[in-house]
Amino acid sequence: MIQMYHVEMRYPGETYGLRDISISIERGEFVFLTGPSGAGKTTLLRLLFGAEHPTRGQIVVAGRNVSRLSSASIPELRRQIGVIFQDFKLLPQRSVFENVGITLEIAGLPRRELRARAWSMLRRLGLGHRLDHRPRALSGGEQQRVAIARALVNDPPLLLADEPTGNLDPDLALDIMDIIADAHARGTTVIVATHDPRLLERYPHRRLVLDAGRLVMDRRPESIPASFRQVSRPLS
Amino acid sequence: MDSHQLRRLRSALRSGVRGIRATPLIFALSVSSMAAGLLLFGTYLLVVQNMQHVLERFGNELRIVAFLNPGAGPGPAAVAALRSRFESLEGVSSVRFIDSDGALERLRRDLGRESGILDGLEKNPLPASFEITLAPESRSSDAIEALAADISGSQGVDEVRWGEDWVQGYSRLLRAVVWLGAALGAFLMLVLCTVVAGTVRLALYARTDEIQIQRLVGASGLFVRLPFYLEGALQGAVAASLAIGLLFGLFQLGLPILGDLLAFLLGPLAPAFFGVPQIALLFVIGVTLGIGGAVLSLVKLEETR
Repeated sequence: MIQMYHVEMRYPGETYGLRDISISIERGEFVFLTGPSGAGKTTLLRLLFGAEHPTRGQIVVAGRNVSRLSSASIPELRRQIGVIFQDFKLLPQRSVFENVGITLEIAGLPRRELRARAWSMLRRLGLGHRLDHRPRALSGGEQQRVAIARALVNDPPLLLADEPTGNLDPDLALDIMDIIADAHARGTTVIVATHDPRLLERYPHRRLVLDAGRLVMDRRPESIPASFRQVSRPLS
Repeated sequence: MDSHQLRRLRSALRSGVRGIRATPLIFALSVSSMAAGLLLFGTYLLVVQNMQHVLERFGNELRIVAFLNPGAGPGPAAVAALRSRFESLEGVSSVRFIDSDGALERLRRDLGRESGILDGLEKNPLPASFEITLAPESRSSDAIEALAADISGSQGVDEVRWGEDWVQGYSRLLRAVVWLGAALGAFLMLVLCTVVAGTVRLALYARTDEIQIQRLVGASGLFVRLPFYLEGALQGAVAASLAIGLLFGLFQLGLPILGDLLAFLLGPLAPAFFGVPQIALLFVIGVTLGIGGAVLSLVKLEETR
């Protein structure tokens, strides 16, 4: 699903966001991207959905060379990727339903189908009673669930989550992770950037550890201690 | 247009209307500044249009008078030859011969009650003449001058008159008004485009988050820009309607107040308001300005990822 070859991201003033990153992520994998703040987790995710161009190296996502994509081709790539942000990035003037529907509107779905899919997704995430509310009226956990609904409503083959539980209390964080795990169980390739050790302990998935822009560890599930390999909670 | 494009257009329309509702002050600011500019431009168009009507009216009355050599007067053969020559000249619409007696009779009519002063004349001093009416395309000062020179060179013609001072003066005035108006129009268009671009940019800033999020979930450049284009077009249409309505109101109010001045400037011609083509032109200018302003302010959007 994803191949990165010697990717480097350098900013003006010789600051490196990423240095010589080469990784491969298979279709259907669940990968944690971890490391301290400033390690390059967000930069790596931004490169994957075409928000930035690498200064060196090649990135292939779902068969497309992202590093060579023109600005006009980026939207098409993004329609294949669901992205969840730590700060939710919801439209404050629009209702919960409209925030989720925008993905389908952009994809050009007929209104009737858009309504059915957005409603079904929001119901699945326990937000069926919040359709007409503005994001401001929701709790942090609910807002993040709206953001997840927006990212998943289009059934993307790839889901990127940047610190999806960073602003949430521990119980809500687990709820959110269970929703993401559920999407993974349905076949979506998932990359979650986090530095929350509790999540890493609870979900025994592959971990890519970044530090100062370098990949310092690529730990596969087999090498993760058995005590950390728990079965994730079913979606409530 | 296929169903997908239709859905996209409908969605852009909804987004544009939502944008206007989210930032009504910016919309009102943009519409009022555009309407003010279009009102000025419309006023200028109205002045030029009415001046052109005056010129056209005088043009209809404009003729070259060729006075023939005084004396015994030309014979019928000479009159026929001259008439035929004048009629063959390019730019001549009609030719009328007035003999000496006819000229005296006309003068007597023009003098009215004072025509008695002509009774003391021993013989008719007025020469026979040809009145040559001009085709509309030959009523410019230069064309008349060339035609008059050609006519004055004809055998038997003593003098040619065509009201050169008035025609040249009015042509100069009209040319000045048109040039001044063109400069004013270009300046106004530039100002209006900048104003619209500025207000669309304000709307753009007000919706930066929305645009950024649309981009992140895969909106194409057109999906993001189309609502702004439609909003610009709507602003232009509303501003043009407002400007035309205001101009009509001012025109109706101003007529009785400026009646004497207009009568002096336009003569017996009644001032005329715009016809459908001019109203359509102002409307098209407004909509074009609105879209142009949106295009200008969105140029940089393409560069962002």
